[in-house]
Amino acid sequence: MMQRLLPFFTLIALFVGLSVASPHFLTTANLGSVIRQTAVLNIMALGMTMIIIAGGIDLSVGAILALSGLLGCMLMTSGYPTWMGLCGGVLVGAACGLANGVMTAKLRINPFIVTLGTMGIYRGIALILSGGLGVHSLPKSFSYLGEGSVLGIPFVLLVLLVCGAAVHILLEHTRMGRYAFAIGSNPDAAFYAGIPVAFHTSAIYAAGGLLAGLAGMIEASRLMTGQPTAGQGYELQAIAAVVIGGGSLRGGAGSVVGTLIGAFIMGLLSNGSDLLGISPYVQQALIGAVIILAVLLDELRKRNAGNGGGLLHR
Amino acid sequence: MVLELRSIQKCFGGVQALRSGDLRVAAGEVHLLLGENGAGKSTLMKIVAGMQSAESGEIFWKGQPVRFRNPAEAQRAGIGMVHQESLLAPHLSVAENIYLGREPRRGLGWVDRARAVRDAARLIEEHRFPLRAEQLVGSLSPAGRQMVEICRAVAQGASLLIFDEPTSSLSDAESQEVFRIVRGLRDRGASVIYITHRMEELRQLGGRVTVLRDGETVFTGAMAEVSTPELSRHMVGRSVETIYRREPLAPGREMLRVEKLCRRGVLHDVSLTLRAGEIVGLAGLIGAGRTELCRCLFGVDRADAGSVHVEGRAVRIRSPRDAVRAGLALIPEDRQKDGLAAGLPVRDNVLMAAMQQVSRLGFLDSARVRALVGPGGDQRAGQLSGGNQQKVVIRKWVLSGAKVVLFDEPARGIDVGAKVDVFAAMDKMARDGAAVLMVSSELTELMQVADRILVMRHGRIAAELPRGATQEEIMRHAALESLP
Repeated sequence: MMQRLLPFFTLIALFVGLSVASPHFLTTANLGSVIRQTAVLNIMALGMTMIIIAGGIDLSVGAILALSGLLGCMLMTSGYPTWMGLCGGVLVGAACGLANGVMTAKLRINPFIVTLGTMGIYRGIALILSGGLGVHSLPKSFSYLGEGSVLGIPFVLLVLLVCGAAVHILLEHTRMGRYAFAIGSNPDAAFYAGIPVAFHTSAIYAAGGLLAGLAGMIEASRLMTGQPTAGQGYELQAIAAVVIGGGSLRGGAGSVVGTLIGAFIMGLLSNGSDLLGISPYVQQALIGAVIILAVLLDELRKRNAGNGGGLLHR
Repeated sequence: MVLELRSIQKCFGGVQALRSGDLRVAAGEVHLLLGENGAGKSTLMKIVAGMQSAESGEIFWKGQPVRFRNPAEAQRAGIGMVHQESLLAPHLSVAENIYLGREPRRGLGWVDRARAVRDAARLIEEHRFPLRAEQLVGSLSPAGRQMVEICRAVAQGASLLIFDEPTSSLSDAESQEVFRIVRGLRDRGASVIYITHRMEELRQLGGRVTVLRDGETVFTGAMAEVSTPELSRHMVGRSVETIYRREPLAPGREMLRVEKLCRRGVLHDVSLTLRAGEIVGLAGLIGAGRTELCRCLFGVDRADAGSVHVEGRAVRIRSPRDAVRAGLALIPEDRQKDGLAAGLPVRDNVLMAAMQQVSRLGFLDSARVRALVGPGGDQRAGQLSGGNQQKVVIRKWVLSGAKVVLFDEPARGIDVGAKVDVFAAMDKMARDGAAVLMVSSELTELMQVADRILVMRHGRIAAELPRGATQEEIMRHAALESLP
């Protein structure tokens, strides 16, 4: 139990430690910026949580973020209202995710390969459509999504909480969510139980793409630019957040709360390093070490519990 | 004594798997190791084979105190093990698997693959294994893979071989092959430790027997001097009904009718009828098409021709989903691979095929979930014993309300007590109006449970025998013309 809560305690310890170490940490401005910075990662990681629970992986979410952000912004600059641009971007994300899911589930191509391929394709499309240039002069109202506040609370935090609650309910309290766990834990058993595996797998990738699309719009709103080069490497950060939060790349395990904690741990590490003047080079290495450490501790916990410890145990 | 174990102890995360494991094995003897699931047999043997370490106790190998730190050390000392679950590399050939880690070399580390194939072929020839040296292991049936395991242990030329339930996945005819090999090894002076669940095997192998119960050695003696009920009593710690006998029901209306079902090269014109309240046994050798028939009926494989009627209605089954919708259920042969999501709680496992019943508009109704699942739903399915895992798989189909239930080797690898529970669960499903088809390689099981027995041979139904048919009759129909 102690070790299951370890990510949570790590987050608290980081928070307390940084509060003591830096006078600039515990300020409304800084905390607001941490939340805004990590919201994009957090929302992508929520989608990744579902995909990883279902035994999949999506390397293309960074590219989806760029493509949907770009297309959403292009809609706005070609005269459509802000809300339509926003919805358009999110739908582009869902469509990209659906394509990943269909290729994985129906054509039975390994998801690592499928999304490695679409990572290039989606990014390529974004670069072709934009000619490599960002889309500027967006309507002012669009900045509210990424930078606005409600009663002093960053608007993105509310968006994140709503998404987190929705994904949590989906995973824990709907048929689709429980099927995701079943498919990830043992796809053969799920198939033999008559679960429409291909349908649910596709739907889960689509949901993951939708969240990546939303993250793309938030990113675009924060920068007030639709950048075809946005989100590079975000897919790996999203996977890291899920894994730090207890998700298993073998499928069948993971949770919204764990992922959010994982994403915030990475956010605080990065923010804390900035405040303490630790170089970004060191930061990268630090976060890498945290990922390995988190998975190691999780493995040790499972081995101690006497299961999942590989062939030579039991 | 070649091998002597004294008061071996071992814990797993607070669970005492072994309290006091004692065992003495002489040179050139077949030593049977008995015990229910969880009694500690496999753990004790893994300690001998260097796969696990004991917390306390002594191990003497040829008179010397030893402690093997890994399987390689045990193998070098001359201890080989045939595992219960297959530990093979599916993408490699039979020959490569047999010589894995001990590949014949030519110098400079160059692997002599041709020689490995030649040596393996000679070994296969010598022991008449039903294998080919260049075959990929992944393409073999569970029985075939088990044979490769045995072949590998034999190839190591070990002076002590440990067989961990080698025949639990084999048909009677194939088990006889294993016994032949075991006797051959013994006659060459090797010692064999043989773990089994199957009582009828014991008498054939003879030698001495040791019984473990709750991690303790409770009995050792010569096989010839102990009766079967006595052994059961030692295993369970109380007297058990060794024979399950089902009260037959008057069969009700027709639940399943299969007409001229064909699948090229596998099934030929298979026709059968199952009625409500009936348990029909399906006997046959490995490869006769029993599992293939189940898979075809359940939509895992497609039939080329033929028709299927459920409750008089023609159905087209092209996937397990279609089958489940039509009211069919399959308890698969390989429980771990196809039946159970071991990492998930019992709740998710038993509801897997019954989610519709506990959800409204896609949302789960937690009150109905609790009512249907009952207590114990939080436990991880993988932590349960083999017998309880099987009960979870069965419960999945009880909750789904299946009307035609196909059991493929339902009692494989589970202990006596749990077997009776599994049979009782089958009986209950039949009594509640389902029709049951039960595939089993253990004829005694079929004779205890089934109302009538269909015998398959070469993809056809070769005979239908009434309740009370003898073992010899069944075997005659199953093996006719199939001997080379």
